[in-house]
Amino acid sequence: MTIRLSGVGIVSDMIHLQIYRYDPEKGGEPTMQSFEVPLTKPGMKLLDALNHIKWNLDGTLTYRRSCGEGVCGSDGMNINGVNGLACITPIAGLKQPIKIRPLPSMGVIRDLVVDMEHFFDQYRSIRPWLQSETPVPEHERLQTPEDRAEIDGSYECVLCGCCTTSCPSWWWNGDRFLGPAALLQADRWIRDSRDEMAGERLDQLEDAFKLYRCHQIMNCMECCPKDLNPTKAIDHIKRTLLARKS
Amino acid sequence: MQHKGSNRTYPPAPMSPRLSIYRWHIPMIASIAHRASGMALILFVPFYLWVLHGMTGTPEDFDQAVVLLHSPVGRLALWIADIAVVYHFCNGIRFLTLDAGWCESQQMMRLSARIVLFIALLAALFFGWLLW
Repeated sequence: MTIRLSGVGIVSDMIHLQIYRYDPEKGGEPTMQSFEVPLTKPGMKLLDALNHIKWNLDGTLTYRRSCGEGVCGSDGMNINGVNGLACITPIAGLKQPIKIRPLPSMGVIRDLVVDMEHFFDQYRSIRPWLQSETPVPEHERLQTPEDRAEIDGSYECVLCGCCTTSCPSWWWNGDRFLGPAALLQADRWIRDSRDEMAGERLDQLEDAFKLYRCHQIMNCMECCPKDLNPTKAIDHIKRTLLARKS
Repeated sequence: MQHKGSNRTYPPAPMSPRLSIYRWHIPMIASIAHRASGMALILFVPFYLWVLHGMTGTPEDFDQAVVLLHSPVGRLALWIADIAVVYHFCNGIRFLTLDAGWCESQQMMRLSARIVLFIALLAALFFGWLLW
């Protein structure tokens, strides 16, 4: 069977993949294992290929997945050197053999599953919830359409970790630099007209490492599966801090 | 390392590969080149002071400085410093505009990185032509 895919012409009916394998029960060094998967349908996504391996070739292959449509953010991984979500990454257009590795600079639990604990600790540290001192109104807290539009481009984040684990500043200072995902969410709450703790949020972020380790490398904006721009959000936080001083 | 709900002890988790495998996008090259050009300029300062010393010292010092500046090593140092000045200046303006909130769209971030790198390439060709 040969399927014609737009952009790449006629391709062979087998997809070649090389996948990072690590089994903590066996120990030893992680290895890259080759697999061949049939191209079963046009528009096939990378997650379909991983599922095919898991269900038909090697049941020990381990990865996270849930919704399969880019909403849950579970299947973030490094695909041919760039982070992305396997479920919304089309096989067409990927150079073969497709090299799949876990999200960079993370503790590997098994194969493509990494330890996200520190990532979520950093997310929690920015207090990602509405903080308000005024009494709760009888109905919902209202927001004008203009104020609501302020958080476009940040509320869509699915916390997959692709941006944070693509950032060299975070690779080298991840213990103290909060990383793009947490900072994007910090900016989301600073911008939100219903939140009344912007001052405290800014105080918490004004730190040489937490915020200012961003060196505009922009890998976050290049890899975000939801097409968001954390670099822009970080710059906005910096400007808000500056405006507060002047 | 012990996993939740398990009594077994596992070897420490390996860290997933990062710099060795990550693809270099143009804005990443632009940012790293900014650090590298800044470093080149700092390292050029002692060389520059030595040249100044040669220019203002004895005739022998002057001759020595001129000979070194005309040697391949001297020309290479000048060439690298020239490119570094041009690149660091242009990309510095790019970073300032981003800090000011201009050209913040993804397209402009990518385009501006390409532009500053292209200017550095032109500078490299121009200074190369000038020095050789």
